Amino acid sequence: MFSERRLWPCALRSLCVHTFLLLIPFAVFALSLYGQQKPTDYQVKAIYLYNFGKFVQWPASVSDKDTDFTVCILGQDPFGSALDAALAGAAIGGKPVTAKRISSLDVSAHCRILFLGSTEANRLRKIMEALDKEAVLTVSDIPEFSRHGGMIEFVTEESRVRFEVNLDAAQQAGLTLSSELLKVATTVRGNAARRD
Amino acid sequence: MQFLSSHSIRKAISVVQQLFVVALLVVALVSESLADPANNQDEADALRQMSLSDLGKVEVTTVTKEPEEVWKTPAAVFVLTQEDIRRSGATSIPEALRLVPGVEVAQVDSDHWSVSIRGFGAVLASKLLVLIDGRSVYTPLFAGVYWQVQNTPIEDIERIEVIRGPGGTIWGANAVDGIINIITKSARNTHGTLVSTGGGDVDQGLGTARYGGGNDRGFNYRVYGMGFTRGPDFHPEGPNFDDWRMGQAGFRTDWEQGARDAFTFQGDIYREIAGEASQYALYSTPSQVYVYGDGQFTGGNLLARWKRTINAGSDFQIQAYFDRTNHFEPEFGETRDTFDVDFLHHLTLPRQQDFLWGLGIRISPANDIQTVPTIAFLPYKLTDQVYSGFAQDMIPVLDRRLFFTLGSKLEHNNYTGFEVQPSGRLLWTPTPQQSFWGAVTRAVRAPSRIDEDVELTDFAGIQSGLPIYLRVYGNHQFHSEELIAYEAGYRTLIRSHFYIDLAAFFNDYNDLYSFQVEAPFLETSPAPAHAVLPLLTSNGIRGNTKGFEIMPDWKPLSWWQFRPGYSHLEMELENKPTSNDPTSVAGYEGSSPRNQFVVQSLVNLPRKLEFDQTYRYVSALPAQSVASYQTMDARVGWHITKQMEFSVNGRNLLQPHFAQFGGDPDGPVEVKRSVYANLVWRSSEK
Repeated sequence: MFSERRLWPCALRSLCVHTFLLLIPFAVFALSLYGQQKPTDYQVKAIYLYNFGKFVQWPASVSDKDTDFTVCILGQDPFGSALDAALAGAAIGGKPVTAKRISSLDVSAHCRILFLGSTEANRLRKIMEALDKEAVLTVSDIPEFSRHGGMIEFVTEESRVRFEVNLDAAQQAGLTLSSELLKVATTVRGNAARRD
Repeated sequence: MQFLSSHSIRKAISVVQQLFVVALLVVALVSESLADPANNQDEADALRQMSLSDLGKVEVTTVTKEPEEVWKTPAAVFVLTQEDIRRSGATSIPEALRLVPGVEVAQVDSDHWSVSIRGFGAVLASKLLVLIDGRSVYTPLFAGVYWQVQNTPIEDIERIEVIRGPGGTIWGANAVDGIINIITKSARNTHGTLVSTGGGDVDQGLGTARYGGGNDRGFNYRVYGMGFTRGPDFHPEGPNFDDWRMGQAGFRTDWEQGARDAFTFQGDIYREIAGEASQYALYSTPSQVYVYGDGQFTGGNLLARWKRTINAGSDFQIQAYFDRTNHFEPEFGETRDTFDVDFLHHLTLPRQQDFLWGLGIRISPANDIQTVPTIAFLPYKLTDQVYSGFAQDMIPVLDRRLFFTLGSKLEHNNYTGFEVQPSGRLLWTPTPQQSFWGAVTRAVRAPSRIDEDVELTDFAGIQSGLPIYLRVYGNHQFHSEELIAYEAGYRTLIRSHFYIDLAAFFNDYNDLYSFQVEAPFLETSPAPAHAVLPLLTSNGIRGNTKGFEIMPDWKPLSWWQFRPGYSHLEMELENKPTSNDPTSVAGYEGSSPRNQFVVQSLVNLPRKLEFDQTYRYVSALPAQSVASYQTMDARVGWHITKQMEFSVNGRNLLQPHFAQFGGDPDGPVEVKRSVYANLVWRSSEK
């Protein structure tokens, strides 16, 4: 039952298999030097954040005050360097765009756009209450975000990043979303959307 | 001598393995450091030129990301997603669980598995809690899970959450070594038609059909039917008894009434026939009988759940279920009904404390059927009852970077009365990319009928013309098996596509199940006269287990995901001074692998092809007469159209057949190399 006959060939083969497996990462790494890569979802989402800045109008009371156009990330940052790359050298309304990682809601951060990381999913209601219709564009890819009062929710459909808009939430916060933005959205929610 | 040589081989393999792991990490880090940030910038600049509508047409790849609950859980948790399962080619839940580090899955024969976590491998591993959509599937008869009747269409599984270790206070009974929580998709996500059919040499025929729909008022439903036939595995000696066929049907409705209320109602019904080899003793000749027969299993369940959101930080849910299992094997049978009601209330206390409390009742009447004179559960009819309550508070400190979780469970069962199971946990997230956690938990495995009520007689031999029998007596003084677990872990997202999860544990066990050998006696009835050596079930073993699991999750390329996982386990158990159990310590220690190494590689090729491999090494199980082995599964999948997917799956490819676990009476059955093809068609709805 427990014979050496069976163990020996297995041990020899094990060395071969291990060596073979060992080579796979090297081979693939070598391959990766060729071949064009697709962008990651967060590279594209980062570009979207920049674009939202261009296609959303903030009330003058907010936009006149700030020196920078600040994009905040609350919770775990899924973008890494992708966001910094997307915003590098960019300006919106003549103001330089900067990214800020924050761990709690803080008025002094002067966020224009607030991206909520997936770590915030079960604090969503509290965050929405704390924001209390402040003129901050809330964006996230937390499922059902736009149903629960978030303004823009990223959805990935067939490997493409699209977004849903909750127009009521944006309007209550005094934000104006351009028609171009709404045209591209997969879904526009809210009573305001129906009236239009 | 056999063990000596196997030991040296094992050592050699483990050295190679360690080198491999080190090499892998070096490659990962080197390639990470070589990753060109300028390239990143070029890509961003190119994307920035695009119009909004063009941006929506860019095809993207998704990076490795652990779900939020994993990141913030102060326990060794692992989530297996639908995609992971689909691409593993698994056709059953135990097969899918092989991907989880720290979980020990060994196939006994076609229709039996040993599934355990961090040691104590057994066909009916007693110290696990297994839930399917909130319904416990642990049987109080044998203290374990009948894996062969835990089926659900693989396509309907949303995720499987596995917690290694006692996991906390909020879960149900027997969450000692770990928790396996199988969660199926909401009916909202299963609209349209799905038909999946397949077949091969061992998985001879597989089929699932599902239809789902819903309306815009939040009501969604699905119905399904599934079935399969599996052929026998390889039998070095003895007949091919383990063929297996089953059919199951079920439904699920999810109704979201406004933003506050969610109702779920679901149920399943199944019937299956699974070939088994049984061995039992008789007092008349032949003293020992081998039967190759069929186990017949039927059952069903209905579950209802209502969840209400009261306000921002407060919600409650009430869940009730009924579960029926009819279990008829050649040497015994059981019919069991389980009624369970659970209440859970979650609220936010001042200073953002997250408070959770709950109550539960489980009543489970069963009727055991004796079919042979030597196996009985006495009394035949018994109702198991468990009343439980728990409370847990998570206290955030230091700007929500440090969380203390304190809680306890109080449980009352009909065997040992009250059991207190407290837990203290700590989570520290110094940066958003890393978290540390530690925990101390007491958990118990409450007795069940196999511990207290069994009377099982086995034939030992004939000496001087007198037949000698061993007889296991259930002991009404049997108390709970106890664990005090010390755990720690670290998770870090080094880059958006490189993640490492590390967990280590020291488990201190006491009062583990054992046999106490008592003085032999002569029995004249039933005739003929025979000697009986009584073995009383006892709590005579103590000791500890320690080990760690490391699992990097690395996506080096947009089209390649690579997940190696290594688990190490050491078990040091001993008989307590009063115990004279001759075999159990070796049995426990020799039934779980000391080292396990699993690598999953998922490659997306051009033309919508997928090439996936799983390699695994499992070290020897001396108590099961199983040598260390390594094997590989491979899958080629092709998305022919958006609606249609075809795959060819090979399993256990590195050898024609090999043993993974003992347990059948005529020596270990060997699991065969096998291949099956599968075609999935789904209508264009989601």
